This record gives sequence, structure tokens and C-alpha cells, in this order.
Amino acid sequence: MAGKKNARSEPAAAPATTATSTPSAKAPLTPTKNPIPIPTPAQPKAVAAQGGWAQVFQNLYDYYLSETPQRTKLLDVFLLFLVLVGALQFLYCILAGNYPFNAFLSGFCGTVGQFVLTISLRIQTTEANKADFPKVSPERAFADYVVCSLILHFFCVNFIN
Amino acid sequence: MRSLLSLAVLAAASVVSAVSVTGNRLLVVLDDVAEKESYSKLFGSLADRGFDITYDTPRSEDLQLFHLGERTYDHIVFLPTKVKALGPKLTPQILLDFVNAAGNIMVALSATTPASTSTVAFLAELGISLPQERTGLVVDHFNYDTVSASEKHDTLVLHNSKPVRYDMWDVFSLRDDEFLALPHTVGHTLGAGELLTPILRAPSTAYSYNPKEQTEAVDPDDLFAAGQQLALASAFQARNSARVTVLGSAEMLQDKWFDTKVAVEGGSKVSTKNAEFAKTLTGWTFQELGVLRVEEIEHRLKDSNETNPEIYRIKNEVHYQISLSEYRWDAWVPFNANPNDPPQLEVSMLSPFHRLNLAPEEHSATDRTRTYSTDLILPDQHGIFNLRVNYKRPFYTYVDEKCTVSVRHMAHDEWPRSFVISGAWPWISGIGATVSGFVMFCAIWVYSKPAAPLVKKTQ
Repeated sequence: MAGKKNARSEPAAAPATTATSTPSAKAPLTPTKNPIPIPTPAQPKAVAAQGGWAQVFQNLYDYYLSETPQRTKLLDVFLLFLVLVGALQFLYCILAGNYPFNAFLSGFCGTVGQFVLTISLRIQTTEANKADFPKVSPERAFADYVVCSLILHFFCVNFIN
Repeated sequence: MRSLLSLAVLAAASVVSAVSVTGNRLLVVLDDVAEKESYSKLFGSLADRGFDITYDTPRSEDLQLFHLGERTYDHIVFLPTKVKALGPKLTPQILLDFVNAAGNIMVALSATTPASTSTVAFLAELGISLPQERTGLVVDHFNYDTVSASEKHDTLVLHNSKPVRYDMWDVFSLRDDEFLALPHTVGHTLGAGELLTPILRAPSTAYSYNPKEQTEAVDPDDLFAAGQQLALASAFQARNSARVTVLGSAEMLQDKWFDTKVAVEGGSKVSTKNAEFAKTLTGWTFQELGVLRVEEIEHRLKDSNETNPEIYRIKNEVHYQISLSEYRWDAWVPFNANPNDPPQLEVSMLSPFHRLNLAPEEHSATDRTRTYSTDLILPDQHGIFNLRVNYKRPFYTYVDEKCTVSVRHMAHDEWPRSFVISGAWPWISGIGATVSGFVMFCAIWVYSKPAAPLVKKTQ
């Protein structure tokens, strides 16, 4: 356990020096694989210095597509959708005012709450975090997620009146 | 024959009933009971109006204003008396108690007789001051009667065509060509009390002096009052609507001044209107005029038939109406308020949230009341509110009516639904998008391949 944590923290510290957002996205992925992938993301960085940012993002994207399980991709798409819906609601609130306020709270908080729950599901089902939740199977996590979401929807629909 | 007889009885009954709303027992305090002969027309008029008149002197042993804590008279008239004080039965305190017990008092003074100390003290309690030495004479070298006082100028000839303030009831006003004669008048000045109203003020050229001491000239330092600050007749209406009037000239009530002809300098002789003025003054003092009565108060939710509910909701539309009638000599008639100064409704909790004019409603000629009403929207504040009409005007008895109602807040199901408000539709659709996105996500999740656990196991 301790050894794993060390293994994780080391590569995380190294990319942090590059001060880009990309390494932090990669960091959780690295320990799932063998130590071998670590050089893989490290190499594009050296290339990026020469080949530009486009190369960095292209590599990230390729790596994400190849190494991410399909369910996690689905989760990320849903998260993106929720961010979009939340941003639209907030934009509308800024432009058109917050009357009726309970409707705004209910709609916006519903989306944010769904986002939080989905993030939780993503954390619990990611293989990399398996060790943190030894008793939570993906099925159990999904069931929790559905129940909590239904409670959230029930509350929001009531509150919007 | 019989119908004629009953008609006569009815007429007699109506004559008898033509009396003040507060009672008909009138006490006249004068120096000598025989003196009443010179006021016979005044007292005859009062007796005709149904007053039960008792004449007495301050020296009388069995004179009593209260018996077992109740008033024994409803009204008192004080005519000038030569006594220095009115004695133990008519002390200023007893007179004040009489006013507090809703008795009405009319005080007539004269320059020929100093006012008694009791009268001076009693009037001082009300904020009415009399000249030094309890006597004084008002003269005016421009508005005097050339017939009777061409030398001394001490009979004032006045016309009282306008009330003191333009928005007051002009009950004591005369036409421009009608005159009052005031012989041997004592002037008085009024304090700042809001219950005091001058009825008749001296013209701007009049002044008051003491004929015994200031025979040659009046030192400005010793001048009591001059011009319009001298009141010749004044009214005081206490908070319980009891009335006190002070008249500077008792002689103007005497018979001989009711029908003499007077003339101002350069004018022709005209007969005085003293009789009419005396009738109005006594009628007003003894509550035959200007007595207001609240007949009915009704408030209800608009479009509801339930009257005077105890509870309303904030921002309810409420209809309020109050019926007022006015006693005029012998009957209750509809009260017509000055249209520029109508009664107002206050919706108050500690302080008024609304103060609204009440508009008179249409009424038929047979009505005995006039209804004033308004529609209002209750304030956006819950709590205990008073619907109050506080109508206090000079020469009218006071109206102060409160209806206490509770105003509750909105119940949780009385708010408009969000889907009724178009502004909420984007957020409703936001929830819709979130929920449907969730359902689709779950469906795809269930049918999607789980992450390969084998890889994990090998690790």
C-alpha cells in the first residue's frame, strides 16, 4: 500500500514542475499501469518543447482514448453535458435575473448536484482508486449513485414548485 | 278627525324630541333669578327646543352638579355674576369634572361685571386667558355702533362672513350684509391647544383695555391683546367631545340686542343677527349641531360576502366602508364631509402603512347616513393591523374608530407555481435536461461493457 502511494506521488511531482494542466489529468492514470507508461507521457513533453502544444494535446487525447475504459468515457461525456447545462442556466440567471429564485436554485443546484454525484461515481469506479474503496464494487457504486440521484431529483422537482 | 289628532300628537312629539343628543337638563347660573327676564327670548328658544331649564344662583345651598357620581345636569350656562368666586359648589375642579363627564358649558362674560375667579381659573385650565383684573373692554374705533355707542365705541358691529380657516365648517358664518352687535365685550386670548377654535375674532383695529385703570391711554406694555389675537367667542371641544364655549359679550344675548338696529359709520341701519347667532352658538354648545355618529363599519374581502372577517392575507384586496350621520337640531342627516378634506382610513401597525381618502358613495335622499368607502390592497407585511378612521375636525365631534384584523402571510400553496412564471421555464428545462440526461446515462451505463477486471486482478 505504502509502496504504491510512493510510486504514485513520484511521477505526480515530476510533471507538476512543467506547470501544465495535462500532467495532473494523467497522474491518476499512471499508477494503474506498469511503471512503463510513465516515460510515455514524459516523452511527448520533451517533444512538445520542440513540436508545440498541439502535439501535447494530440498525445493526451490519443492516450485518453486508448487507455480509458468505455464506462469512464461515458461518465466524462455526461459530466461535460452537465457542465454545459449548468453554465447555460447560470448565464440565463445573470442575463435575465433570478426571479423566481427558488426555480433558479432548484435548477442550477440540481445540475451541480448531479455533477457532484457523477464525479463520486467516477471516483468509485475508477480502477486506480480501487484500493481506497475495497468494499465498494462498481455495481454497488452505481446503485448508490442511482438512489442518491433519484433523491436529488425528487427534492429539486419539489423545490421548483 | 282621529288622523288629525294623531298628526298633532306626532308633531308635538317631534317638537319635544328636538333636543340635544346628550340630554336636555340645562342649568343657568346667574346673579339673580329675576335677571332671566332680560334673556327671555334666548331661554324661550331653548325651552322650545326641548331643554328643561333650571335657574339658580351661585349662592344657592342646594345647587349640585353631581349626585351619587352622576351628572345632575347635562349643560350649564354661566351668565355674568357679581360674586368674586362661584363658591364651593362650582369650583374650577368641579367644572372640569363636569366636562370630563361629557357635560357642556357655555360661559358668557361681560365687561360691566368682572369674571369670577372660578371662571378665570376654569378657563385657564382649557388654555383660554382673560385680561388682568378679570375685566377688560374691547373697543374698536372703526367698527362700532353709531346708534348706541357713538362716544365710547364699545359696541362692536361685526360681520362674521368667513370661518377662521378656509377648510372649517362655516356653521357660525353670516352673509356679508348681516351683522352682529357685541356690546361691552371682554376679549380673551387662546393658547396653542389644538382643541381650541376661535368662533369670532376681533377686527384688526380693535384692542382691549381696562376702563377703570387705563382711563387716559394704554401703555403698550400693559396692553392685553389687540387685533385678531383677541377672540370674542371661542370653542373648546374636549377629547370626549364635551363642549365649552366662551362668549365675550353676555349682553348680546339679551332681548334688546336681538332686535335693535345698528349702523356702522357711514352705513345704514340694519337689524342684528344676534338671535340667529345665539341659537347657533347654544345649539352647537349643547350638542344639537355637528354631532357625528358612526352608523356602521364594514370591511370585507373583495368579491366576498363575509363581512368583517378577523383575518386577511397580505396583499389581499379589501373593501372598507363607514357610514356617518350628523345630528342637526332634531334629526340625524347624512354627513357630508368637505370634499377637499374627506375622512381617511389608516391601515396601521404602530404607524400607518396606508392613509387613504374615503370617497362618498351615492346615496338617496331618504338615507339618514352617508357611506364613505375605499378599496385597498393590504400591505405586504403580516401582523395585527388596525383599520382606523381618525376624523377630528373643528366643530364636529370626534370620530376615532378602530377595527383590529390579523393579516397572515402567504400559505405555502398560495404562491404562483413556477410553470406559471415564464421566467422559470429555462430552469425547469434545466432540471428536465439533467434528469433525462441521467436516465440516458444510466441506460447506456447498464448496457456498456464493465471495465476489464482481469487486468486489475493480474496486478
